[in-house]
Amino acid sequence: MNRDLATADDAARDGRSPAGDTLRALGEVVPALALLAGTLIVWEAAIRLFKISSFVLPAPSAIFVALVENRVPLAVAAQATAVEVLFGFVLAAVVGIATALVIVRFERFGKALYPLIVLFQTVPKVALAPLLILWFGYDLTPKVALIVIIAFFPVAIDMLAGLQSVEPSFVALMQSVGAGRSEILLRVRIPHSLPHLIAGLKVAITFSVIGAIVGEFAGASAGLGYVIQIASTQLDTPQVFAALVVVSVLGLAFYYAVEFSERLLVPWAPKFDATHRT
Amino acid sequence: MSGPTSAAHAAAPARSGPAPDAAPPHIVARGIAVEFSHGRRRQRVLQGVDLSVPKGSFVSLIGPSGCGKSTLLKVLAGLIRPTSGSVTVAGTAPQEAVKHRMIGLVFQDATLLPWKSAAENAAFLLMTADKTIRRGAALERAHAMLQLVGLEGAEFKRPSQLSGGMRQRVAIARALALDPEVLLMDEPFGALDAITREEMSRSLLDIWQRTGKTVVLVTHSIDEAVFLSREVHVMGTGPGRIIETLPIALPHPRTDESFSDPAFGRAEARLRSLLIESHRGRGSDA
Repeated sequence: MNRDLATADDAARDGRSPAGDTLRALGEVVPALALLAGTLIVWEAAIRLFKISSFVLPAPSAIFVALVENRVPLAVAAQATAVEVLFGFVLAAVVGIATALVIVRFERFGKALYPLIVLFQTVPKVALAPLLILWFGYDLTPKVALIVIIAFFPVAIDMLAGLQSVEPSFVALMQSVGAGRSEILLRVRIPHSLPHLIAGLKVAITFSVIGAIVGEFAGASAGLGYVIQIASTQLDTPQVFAALVVVSVLGLAFYYAVEFSERLLVPWAPKFDATHRT
Repeated sequence: MSGPTSAAHAAAPARSGPAPDAAPPHIVARGIAVEFSHGRRRQRVLQGVDLSVPKGSFVSLIGPSGCGKSTLLKVLAGLIRPTSGSVTVAGTAPQEAVKHRMIGLVFQDATLLPWKSAAENAAFLLMTADKTIRRGAALERAHAMLQLVGLEGAEFKRPSQLSGGMRQRVAIARALALDPEVLLMDEPFGALDAITREEMSRSLLDIWQRTGKTVVLVTHSIDEAVFLSREVHVMGTGPGRIIETLPIALPHPRTDESFSDPAFGRAEARLRSLLIESHRGRGSDA
């Protein structure tokens, strides 16, 4: 069924109807969970049936055991990675937003800067990880730097698109009452850009998790990427998968945190809902 | 009072606003030329445009696409500086008039801010223009203007909850909230369906009669131009210029009966033949 916009909007403004929202959320989650459970069952059965070694592919039950047994070191590693993601993401967002604002506000400088940013984007940034280790050492800084380099681009590009999405006739209206560039930027362009910005932030948060793991691969003494690397050199495949599960949960939690902020920041924007479009 | 015999005169006395003959010119353009340069190529969009609009009058600019009528409106609004020629609005340059909130603009797209209610949208330009006005006072004025354009009860709705016609009404209220002396409208009903469009024309006529603003309307519609205007300026292309100024001899106030007035038919026929001519002119130019 297709929810109509006005109703969704009203619900968002009136606070919410908890019962209806919970039911709807459950309705959305149940099919996904069922599919996941089905996949796990088939996986488990296949491993047992064909007697596949857990070095090659561990059964879900083995992964679960590894998760429970190593819960403390995994939690410590997850915390280290989460800190990197958080710092990197926030900094990437700041750099991305600032880049877009500078390009729009200072047109000439922006025209010079934009192609350079795009050019920089063609450099495979994962390949920069060893360099960053060389420059910044083994702790937090090189991971944060890598995340910023990877994740600022989608923020900048989407924010830029949002800032430029204001109709020229509205700009003309603002000029017709004597508003200058800065005022138009502040009162019209920036609010207009928020839905686009959020879309960019959603991409950036997933990039941030990737950046943190890659950064840890290149050289680290803590974090989930480090755990994965150590476990794989020891052929402890269940541990590798356990760490991967934690990475996924971490990524999911960050992603939904950003999506939640969308409702607070841009309640007027039509919600993007892939499964509800007909 | 007056029959079609008085056709030579611009209009019968209106119910409100001064008669055009007695009123001093409110907008005066002399020898306007506008050139746009695309790299090395220069394109002449307007040439030798003279225009005089009496205070409190309602005039239309009509012409084929590419005749520069929107450009002319932007020149009057101070958004484009003409390459040569002079413009005065209420005795000052448009850029000055803008500072004194003398000009209200309405475009084809309502361009409302999606995160603001109808009333907040209607108050937005006023609050941008006048930094000293209190929010409450601006909103109060916005409410009054929404009432004037027939949007009572929709003040707190978001643009996404309004129809195309209602959004355009908000845009008109937003311009009126500035209490401008001049209302410049660029095909304000161009994006609306035929029935909504007629309804909006009637509303606009009513608003004009009640506020006494000087209105300049850019339109594609001959009917709209005749029904609403005291004078229609027909524009031609290559480069854009005014080829004829046609006074509309329909008595005021105009009602649905105006459509069946013989003067309406004559003005319509004259405009149509002028437009066909100017369209042909465009063909030979290209």
